[in-house]
Amino acid sequence: MNWESILSFARGPFFQAALLIFVAGMLYRLARILTLGWKPDRVAARGSRFGGAVKSFLKGILIWPFIPWVKNTYSRNPIIYWAGGLFHLGLFVTIFLGAAHELVWKSLLGFGWPTLPTPIVDWLAAGAIAAMIALFVNRLVNPVLKLISGPAEWANLLLVFLPMTTGYMLTHHLWLAYEEMFSLHMLSVDVLLIWIPLSRISHFMFYFFSKAIHGADFGKRGVTP
Amino acid sequence: MQTQTAINTFIEETGSWVASQLEACTRCGMCAEACHFYQATGDPEFAPVWKIELLKRAYEQRFTLTGKLKLALGVDKPIHDEDVLHWSKIIYEACTLCNKCSMVCPMGISLGPLIHDVRTGISKAGAVPADLMAAVNKQMEEGSPLGVTDDVYNDRMEWVADEWEVELPMDQRGADTLVVFSSIEIMKFPENIAAIAKILHKAGEKWTLSRKGREVVNFGFYEGSPERTKIIMGRVFDAAKELGVKKIVVTECGHAYDALRWTAANMMDVPAGIEVTHIVALLGEYVKTGRIKLKQGAYNDGAITFHDACKIQRRGGHIQEPRDILHILAPDSFKEMTPNREESICCGGGGGVIAIKEADPIRYAAFELKIDQIKKAGAKTVAMSCSNCRLQFVDCVQHFNLDVKVAGLSQMVADALEE
Repeated sequence: MNWESILSFARGPFFQAALLIFVAGMLYRLARILTLGWKPDRVAARGSRFGGAVKSFLKGILIWPFIPWVKNTYSRNPIIYWAGGLFHLGLFVTIFLGAAHELVWKSLLGFGWPTLPTPIVDWLAAGAIAAMIALFVNRLVNPVLKLISGPAEWANLLLVFLPMTTGYMLTHHLWLAYEEMFSLHMLSVDVLLIWIPLSRISHFMFYFFSKAIHGADFGKRGVTP
Repeated sequence: MQTQTAINTFIEETGSWVASQLEACTRCGMCAEACHFYQATGDPEFAPVWKIELLKRAYEQRFTLTGKLKLALGVDKPIHDEDVLHWSKIIYEACTLCNKCSMVCPMGISLGPLIHDVRTGISKAGAVPADLMAAVNKQMEEGSPLGVTDDVYNDRMEWVADEWEVELPMDQRGADTLVVFSSIEIMKFPENIAAIAKILHKAGEKWTLSRKGREVVNFGFYEGSPERTKIIMGRVFDAAKELGVKKIVVTECGHAYDALRWTAANMMDVPAGIEVTHIVALLGEYVKTGRIKLKQGAYNDGAITFHDACKIQRRGGHIQEPRDILHILAPDSFKEMTPNREESICCGGGGGVIAIKEADPIRYAAFELKIDQIKKAGAKTVAMSCSNCRLQFVDCVQHFNLDVKVAGLSQMVADALEE
């Protein structure tokens, strides 16, 4: 088997299968959570539940990530705020606003959107990779993280790290030939897609639940979430 | 020890509300930095995420593919008796359910309520720390964890009425408002009773006390037992129904307010048309509407700060009222601590912690964060609206030999009433 056939497998049938597993797995998890049953909240509200949820999302997405130092807990563990923020920023920009990935989206969805200039995406991708290394070291040394990290947590880090580094090396023609690196990149993406529904990387979906619950709970009490 | 009962309870509790939040956790550990017990001791087991470990394990092992797989591979262990005993120490002794952690969690997970759910499972397994359970049993049998029986209540109220020359209306049908004190106030801060009575009379409130609903404290809620929580709340609701009041006022007690105001309706049938409110809300309303007038600047000498209680401010929402009042009482000397308001640091004695002797060392350790805050604010007086916080403050001021005055907000208001 040569690299050419590996690549066509990794971006062809394997990618499609992985994508299917990803979508089906996430839908299954969503359905399972939704069907466990919600109890109605009969407590009379003092403030707006909906307003609280909206504020909770606005603060969580648009405010805190960009001014972490105003949080009083920031000074106790600044690395997790910076590395966590930079990682997510780099990840989202690369996946949605990188020119190469936009082409993938276009082929999947049938429509595209404007992308960011490559140098910007490039620097953010490098930042995200550096942030992952910082998060890895932090998980190794922080006593709380040592206690709560099992094999799954290490696998999460590794399986996200691989597509990011191979993707970065691919665009910079580092180490391996283009086709070889592209194959590794696609293989690692495929593995990650399968892993997501089995792991806590799926938090991007449950984020909307927990953040809405938090906002509604504070909002109903008349407190800013 | 009934470990299986604990596991069954965890599974029963896990509806979409709990499960979606357990699934949202990324194991980032940021919640640890919010916990005063972790900050004070550095013990990683005090991280809020670790406190809900049993709930998470029970959920994963029952409902998820990965949980079952981890169990089969031996990565995760089933819940044993020693786990229930171990977590009993962590979640009763090193957690005040103050919910500061949910403010720090990037996913906004309601860790406080989830830890309360863990308490429910452990209470059903019969593994509540002995000191706390003794107080619960005392309240179930005598009506109060501090021994306020019918006779003690009558004697005490008669004494307060004599000592401070206030009228304390008792079991008055047709009153608008039922006022329920906590036994901490009745036994340790009786001046609070006189102060609140004075304010209510001044405001022209048609109010009453009740012998039947004489205790607002709810040790069943601390314990996490839904049955006992309901029985204890039922005593207050029944009294309110019998007297035909429109409003129940919880006095300077935090968790009782959380129970009666924010939890009762989801646990039991609450009497329709009876509003539950907190004395701080009432004070704020009186001042705003001019039903009472306060002496401007009555406390203007010596810096004064306000301690936000977890259940009255962060989880009760009455953040602005005490500040409005303090801006009148101490316009020049009122100083905020940092962090404050909904982000405030807990006193360290709530959630039943102060009732457990074995928790004393970490309770004092946690209070050192508060000392640091008070010193930075340069305050000589700390005002607060929760008697449980006040008990912790008074005890710690003595323990650390601090030159700080501890004041109840209602009492400050009563002392500054314009004639």
